[in-house]
Amino acid sequence: MSAIDFSDPTTIALLTDALTAAGVSGLEISRPGGQLRIVVATGEEAQINVSSTAQPVSAPPPVVVKAPMAGHFCSGSSSRSVAADRLPRSVSAADVLGFLRVGPILLPLCAGRSGILTRQLAEPDTLVGFGDRLFEIEPQS
Amino acid sequence: MPETFDSRPRFDTVLIANRGEIATRIQKACRALGLKTVVVYSEADRQAPYGRTADSALCIGPSSAAKSYLNKDALLLAARLTGAGAIHPGYGFLSENAAFADAVEKAGLAFIGPSASSIEAMGDKISAKRAMIAAGVPCVPGPDTALVDDPAAIERLALEIGYPVIIKAAGGGGGRGMRLVPEAGLLQEAVALTREEAQQAFGSPSLYMEKFLQHPRHIEIQVLCDTHGNAVWLGHRDCSMQRRHQKVVEEAPAPGISPDVIGSVGRACVEACRQIGYQGVGTFEFLYEDGAFYFIEMNTRLQVEHPVTEMTSGIDIVQAQIKVAQGDPLDLAQADVKCEGHAFECRINAEDPDTFLPSAGIITALTLPEGPGIRVDTHIHPGYKVPPYYDSLIAKLIVHAPTRAEAMARMREALAGTRVDGISTNIPFLRALFEDSAFARGETDIHYLEQWLKQRRAP
Repeated sequence: MSAIDFSDPTTIALLTDALTAAGVSGLEISRPGGQLRIVVATGEEAQINVSSTAQPVSAPPPVVVKAPMAGHFCSGSSSRSVAADRLPRSVSAADVLGFLRVGPILLPLCAGRSGILTRQLAEPDTLVGFGDRLFEIEPQS
Repeated sequence: MPETFDSRPRFDTVLIANRGEIATRIQKACRALGLKTVVVYSEADRQAPYGRTADSALCIGPSSAAKSYLNKDALLLAARLTGAGAIHPGYGFLSENAAFADAVEKAGLAFIGPSASSIEAMGDKISAKRAMIAAGVPCVPGPDTALVDDPAAIERLALEIGYPVIIKAAGGGGGRGMRLVPEAGLLQEAVALTREEAQQAFGSPSLYMEKFLQHPRHIEIQVLCDTHGNAVWLGHRDCSMQRRHQKVVEEAPAPGISPDVIGSVGRACVEACRQIGYQGVGTFEFLYEDGAFYFIEMNTRLQVEHPVTEMTSGIDIVQAQIKVAQGDPLDLAQADVKCEGHAFECRINAEDPDTFLPSAGIITALTLPEGPGIRVDTHIHPGYKVPPYYDSLIAKLIVHAPTRAEAMARMREALAGTRVDGISTNIPFLRALFEDSAFARGETDIHYLEQWLKQRRAP
């Protein structure tokens, strides 16, 4: 029987889907060659962490901030061009990048981790659904 | 003087609170009526084709049905965000959830289905049976009251009805929450177990007892009722070909039942609808044995198998359902309902044809049959990924022909011309079933398929 490659993105994606579907908040698998930890965040956005003792760590992949529910997307600034002008820029985990407008409520969208905010992926004032991609952050170690 | 009604449409946009083939089917009906559609989907269904053809599409939650298609708040929010004026629940998921129907109406939207009170009344099998007896619909022998706690009284009742009896949960349905009792010695344990199961599964320990029929067929009557007191029945279906209480093949009309016998039952169903003030489409389910009908339950929603009735009656049931929700009076009377020819439906499931285990994955190639009298209701296409989270139904193959024998031949031809690569499907099993001589003669009861499968597996 061949061993499952836990660094394979497809495997990680399948495991993440299964965890999310089952309502399980996280999973950690440790092996002699490395460790895989998947944490499903409260906003239903999965955080995946793969570490390996066998290979040198390359630049981490960008992290995407997704919509935690359906609503109208409002960027942190009043217009797309202003927001675009200010990119890329450093953000901390607690920084509010934008809002979701759901009726009279504005739901803050936090970066969730520190890094360089490189892209805004949704147009301001558009209707977005659960899990739609809103921002891209390059994590800083 | 003719009745007057507000002819202004109640809504121009319908949110489809479902997925898969039925989402595609409802979208088609809405488009034919000039209505806009909103498709909601889970993350697993993000690439579903009906999302691309809708006027709006919105992801409402993760793959888990509990957090998406069963999430009442997410559905109502989606309706509000997209400006939908009505919600069509399809079948399964929240289609028979009275609390959801009530929440939809309270939000100022139209629920495309019966009222919450009708759903609730028919969801309780004891109150449903009582209503049917009052309307003259034949029921299975047994009282229309819940079982009492007194063991001696329960034993007396079983003796009065005569063994074998069946103990059922008042809140159950679809084959769940029931237990067969072949003899007196097993009665008390069966009652205790079913009561516990009913409490756990349906939130109520209420039970009732009926005579157990040994070799019944499953016959259904489709009804259509408007909000102006008009009601018609659209013929009957035979859904006896079942595996583990799940229908596999359906046909209309039910073979070998005289129009006189079924006609009186159909009229009683219509009368029951009038008495309970039922609105929309609904299905009366009966067991049929030795020439007699016995009501078992009413499904207060669109059925998976509605296409066989559409093929024989020529009536678009989904469009009719939407028009009723708009407040339109029925545009046909009972005398206008003419059922012609014979129709079969095969449920194509993504599952192993021998073990029936679900088979998720990507469809690498797809060939679907075409031609006169052949209809395929589906959402799949080459490259479509069948997700593992939901019901395994991926397509419905429907045929219509002048006679039952010709319809069977057409289904054999259609099944031979169907190919789904990349995943396993039950198509080989369906092909074998349509070669079976007893099925061809129309002599099969609800236990036949299980026995047929057992014989096939025997060495």
